[in-house]
Amino acid sequence: MGEINRSPYESTITLTVNGDTHLFRLGEGCHEVSPSHTLAFTLRERLGLTGTKISCDRGACGCCTVMMDGKAVLSCMLLTVECEEKVISTIEGLGDPITGSIDPIQQSFIDHTAFQCGFCTPGIIMSTKALLTENPSPTRGEVQEALAGNFCRCNSHYHVLDAVMAVTRKGG
Amino acid sequence: MKAFAHINACSVGEVIQLLAKYQGKAKLNAGGTDLLGVLKDRILPDYPELIINIKTITQLNSIEENDEGLRIGALTPLINIIASPLVEKTYSILKEAAVTVASPQIRNMATMGGNLCQDTRCWYYRYPDEIGGMIKCFRKGGKTCPAVTGENRYHAIMEARKCFAVCPSDMAVVLTVLGATLTIAGGGGTRDISVEEFFTPMGNVLVPDEMITMINIPKPSPVASQNFLKFTLRKPIDFAIVSAASLITIDRGICTDARVILGAVAWKPIRVSEAEGFLRGKELTEEVIAEGARLALVGAKPLSKNAYKVDIAKTLVKRAVAGC
Repeated sequence: MGEINRSPYESTITLTVNGDTHLFRLGEGCHEVSPSHTLAFTLRERLGLTGTKISCDRGACGCCTVMMDGKAVLSCMLLTVECEEKVISTIEGLGDPITGSIDPIQQSFIDHTAFQCGFCTPGIIMSTKALLTENPSPTRGEVQEALAGNFCRCNSHYHVLDAVMAVTRKGG
Repeated sequence: MKAFAHINACSVGEVIQLLAKYQGKAKLNAGGTDLLGVLKDRILPDYPELIINIKTITQLNSIEENDEGLRIGALTPLINIIASPLVEKTYSILKEAAVTVASPQIRNMATMGGNLCQDTRCWYYRYPDEIGGMIKCFRKGGKTCPAVTGENRYHAIMEARKCFAVCPSDMAVVLTVLGATLTIAGGGGTRDISVEEFFTPMGNVLVPDEMITMINIPKPSPVASQNFLKFTLRKPIDFAIVSAASLITIDRGICTDARVILGAVAWKPIRVSEAEGFLRGKELTEEVIAEGARLALVGAKPLSKNAYKVDIAKTLVKRAVAGC
C-alpha cells in the first residue's frame, strides 16, 4: 500500500448538463463549486437552471429529480463533485433549443392540466422521462410505481397519470 | 451544508489509508441518500473534515454467483438487485425487500452497503440542529433516551436498554434470514462477520478504519419458500414500522426448517428462535402458526405508545409463515 500523494483537493470539475460542458473551479468563492454543494444547488445557483426545484432538500419529495446516465436521481442528495463524467439532463434540456418546441410529455401535462401550482412538475416530468426512456409503453401501475417518489400537494396525481398514459399511447 | 474536503477514492486500500489518517473525522459516501441528510441537519456533535466518495471503486459494484451462493459488492445500487435475473431466480426475497425501499430515485442511488450502514431514523436522534439545536440523546453520549417518556410510536419494542432507536434497514432483515455474511476490510486486514452480528445497540461493529466490501449470501434451499413483508403507512418512501422475513421448508406437509426474522422492532433484525423451534416438525395449521406468532413476540416490551407494533408484528409473522 503506497503513500497517498494526491491532495484531497482536486482543483476543477467538469459537469455535462443537457449536452453542454461546464468547467468549474473548486472552492468556496462565488463562482466556484464547493465540495459540499449538492447538484441541485449547482444547477440552480451556478448554472441558472432553476427548473430543478429544491423543496424538502432531504430526498423525500422528488422535486429535484434530474436524469443522470438515463436514470432518475435526486439532485439534492448528490454532491456536485461526484457528478463528473456523468450525463445529466434537467427539465430545461427536454425542449428543442432550435425550434423551441417542448417535449411531448410537457405538452401532455399542459393538455391534461396535470398540475396546479407546478412546483413539483419538473421533478415529475423528469421521472416520467426516465421511465419512458427505459420503457416506452408502461402500464398505469408501472407509471404509478415509477412516480411513487414524486409528491404533489395540490392533489393532481390522477391528472398526472392521465397525462403520462396519453404520451405512452402516442409511443413516447 | 458546512464545508468539508472531498476525495474520489480509487481503491479499498486508499479508503482504509485515508480513514486511518483521519481517525474518525472522515466519512464514506456511497449513495449519499442517508449521509447528506445527516450532514445537512447537523445531527451529530462531530462534523466530518473529509468525505470520501467510494462509488468510484467500480469493482465493488457487482453481482456474482458461485457454487456457494451470491456475492454482492457493497456498492451495488438497489436498482441492480431489483433488475438482476440471478437474484430473482434463487434469492427472490432480496428483490422483494429492495423494491420496498424508499422511492425509485433513491433505489437508483442507494447501495447495498449503505442500506446496512445507514443511521437510525429515530426522530430525536435526527432532530435538526437548525430548529433549536440538536438533541443530545443517549446514542450521542447523553444521559437519557427522550423516546422513553416522549413520542415513541415508531421505537423499539424488543431488546432495548438505553437507546430505543430501531435498525431502519430492510435489506438487513432479508440478509439475516438468508444467513448472509459481510466481508469487512480494515487497517488490520479483512474479516468476515455475519449480518446478525454486524449490528450493535448503538449502530454497528465497524471501527473508524473499516468498510464493508462484500456481501456473501449462501444459496438457500431450492424448496424453501421466501417471504418478506413490510408494514408502512404509505407505500413509497416510508421506513418499515415492522417488517418480517421468513424462510420456510415444508416436506410432505410438515415444516422441516423455519427461519423467521423481525425488522424495525429493535436495534438489529431479531431472529425469533423460540418460534422457529416451535414451528419445526409440525404441520403448519392456523393454530400452530398463531402460536408461533405469539411465541415470536413473547419477549416484547413496548413503550407507552408503540404496543400496536406488537400486534402488527404478530400478524406479519403469521402471514410470512403462512405465505409459503
